[in-house]
Amino acid sequence: MEPETQTQGTESNGSSVAKTAVWLVLLIIVVGGLIFYGSKKSGEEEAAPKEPIKIGFIGPLTGDAANMGQNAQAAVAIAVAEVNTAGGINGRMLEVIYEDGKCNGKDAANAANKLINIDKVPVILGGACSGETSAFTGAAEQAKVTVLSYCSSAPTITQAGDYIFRNYPSDLYQGAFGADYIYTTLGKKKVAILYVKSDWGVGIKDVFLEKYKALGGTIVAEEGYEQTARDLRTNLTKIKSANPEAVYFLGYTEASIPGLKQAKELGLKAILFGGDAWDDSKIWTEVGEAGEGAMYSVVSAPLNDKFKTDMKAKVGSDEIAVCTPTAYDALKILASVLGKVEATGEAIKNELYRTVYTGGVSAAEVKFDANGDMVGANYAVKTVKTGKAEVVQ
Amino acid sequence: MDIVPQLIANSLIAGSIYAILTLGFNLTYASAKFIDMGFGVMTAIGGYTVFYVSKTLGAPLWLGLIAGILLSGFVSFLAYTFIYKPLRARKSSGAVLLIASLGTLTAVQAVIAILFTSQFQTLSGLLHGNRVFELFGAAFTAVQLSIFCVGVLLFLLLAFLLKKTLFGKATVAIGDDEEVAKIVGIDTDRAMGRLFFLSGAIGGLAGILIGFDTGIEPIMGLPWLLAAVVAAIIGGIGNIYGGIAGAFLLAFAENFGIWKIAGEWKAAIAFGLLIIFLMWRPQGIFKR
Repeated sequence: MEPETQTQGTESNGSSVAKTAVWLVLLIIVVGGLIFYGSKKSGEEEAAPKEPIKIGFIGPLTGDAANMGQNAQAAVAIAVAEVNTAGGINGRMLEVIYEDGKCNGKDAANAANKLINIDKVPVILGGACSGETSAFTGAAEQAKVTVLSYCSSAPTITQAGDYIFRNYPSDLYQGAFGADYIYTTLGKKKVAILYVKSDWGVGIKDVFLEKYKALGGTIVAEEGYEQTARDLRTNLTKIKSANPEAVYFLGYTEASIPGLKQAKELGLKAILFGGDAWDDSKIWTEVGEAGEGAMYSVVSAPLNDKFKTDMKAKVGSDEIAVCTPTAYDALKILASVLGKVEATGEAIKNELYRTVYTGGVSAAEVKFDANGDMVGANYAVKTVKTGKAEVVQ
Repeated sequence: MDIVPQLIANSLIAGSIYAILTLGFNLTYASAKFIDMGFGVMTAIGGYTVFYVSKTLGAPLWLGLIAGILLSGFVSFLAYTFIYKPLRARKSSGAVLLIASLGTLTAVQAVIAILFTSQFQTLSGLLHGNRVFELFGAAFTAVQLSIFCVGVLLFLLLAFLLKKTLFGKATVAIGDDEEVAKIVGIDTDRAMGRLFFLSGAIGGLAGILIGFDTGIEPIMGLPWLLAAVVAAIIGGIGNIYGGIAGAFLLAFAENFGIWKIAGEWKAAIAFGLLIIFLMWRPQGIFKR
């Protein structure tokens, strides 16, 4: 029995050996071909000029806050052109891939997934709206992609992760500044809050509430609205009947234009005080006299003349929106970091913690604390006179 | 209590816009029997045409208004002729038509954003002085008063059109049964084309009025369309008269609903109302 089975075994072994041999040959051809092709390709790469360093950009290029996003995009483009004309980074050009986050989490998350998984960028500049940034910090952290936001101010981003940075101050500062300014400088002890239900709006509102109450002020009304809402009449009607001395109105351009007009139509006389999103000249030209006397806090930026001329040449107007200087500086900071370390998320992250950037257009000095937040913040208050915002001295 | 008159005024203002939109929406739903999402973008077409003709080119306002209304009607007519008509001829289901119309909405919205950027624009600069009136302690502007009047006039006009004209009778017949209408000799294709034109023109008119009151943006179509759909369902979808009732009920519920609770609940109230109707009175206030 045994020899028989053995013969049978050898026979079947014989045919399987033949099969294996065929497969082996195929494998050798395929693998060999791949190696040959691969080595040829890498050889080509060495001969060709160095590949550009890719950087992702996320901001609201359409939808709410598009004005601000497009303005920031222009500033980034200027900064990139400057870096590349000066010879790039160690001979490698910078290439920015612009993605539209539409000022909402869903689109920003899609944009970030594309940048991380398809374009394989080591670092993402953005998002602008806090809702955008919050939506993809988790994915970026996991993929070890560094994020440097030039505009997100929601306090929650402080805890977002090790790879998450911002060169825009947290709302912890802005809300507290607003509360202090309204209570102490303006002397208004009764305030109503009208806020957009976004990370930005809710973030500032919470800090403002806490600080204003701690100072001894009274909150007479607290009204939120959906980011897409354009009819704030009933919110404003309620606020008017609560009879506040000032209204802290946190809104983006799209809701602020109708909102300011509606406040005027309804005969609301209290001072309207806004956040940094009001630093958009479009609001004040559109609302006309309804904006007269409105005030808002904004990060004070030491803009220089060269930046102003460059921006004017790029966008065709004097417009420099709220996050434009920070977007410009953010790219410059990354360029300086990339000049020192290799273009991987981890190396960039480690270097950013050590970076002290001076001479920028958004702040005299930018450095990051252990949470990746910008250290310190300077605010200025602007007031609207005849359709133009002027800094209050 | 002192704010009640103002809340009523706010509800009437919002309700008038909803009513105009619902009229346009119901017109095509009653006959074509599918939810035309593309209707939403007609608001942006109307608004942006006026913006371009009267604000950018500086032509007189009446010219812009006519151009806006005609163009939005025409685009709606084209969408019917080249997209919905072939699909309906193929006996595509309502879901296919809904997706196709959603495609129309998205595509046209994108084109507008490319042509005009996606920034928020207002048309109010075209009007010289928007007077504020006061009645029983409620403030409203001349524009808002005109919106209300336009809504009433449009309603009367449509009611007359449907009741007294041959075109209206044909529309009602198509709504009852398209096949039978065809058999008795009604040119259903022509009637449908006209209906879509009329619906689009009404959408455009609404967009222009919105532009005067608050402002326009390319992505305005979907939120306004949703409001119109909710109002139409509450009122009895496809019922022209019910739509008006639904529109004002929705507006009053939204504005009075947030009287005692915070304003951020507005959208929750609107859609809560929709769910209540869908659960317990799916036929709406007035049955078709």
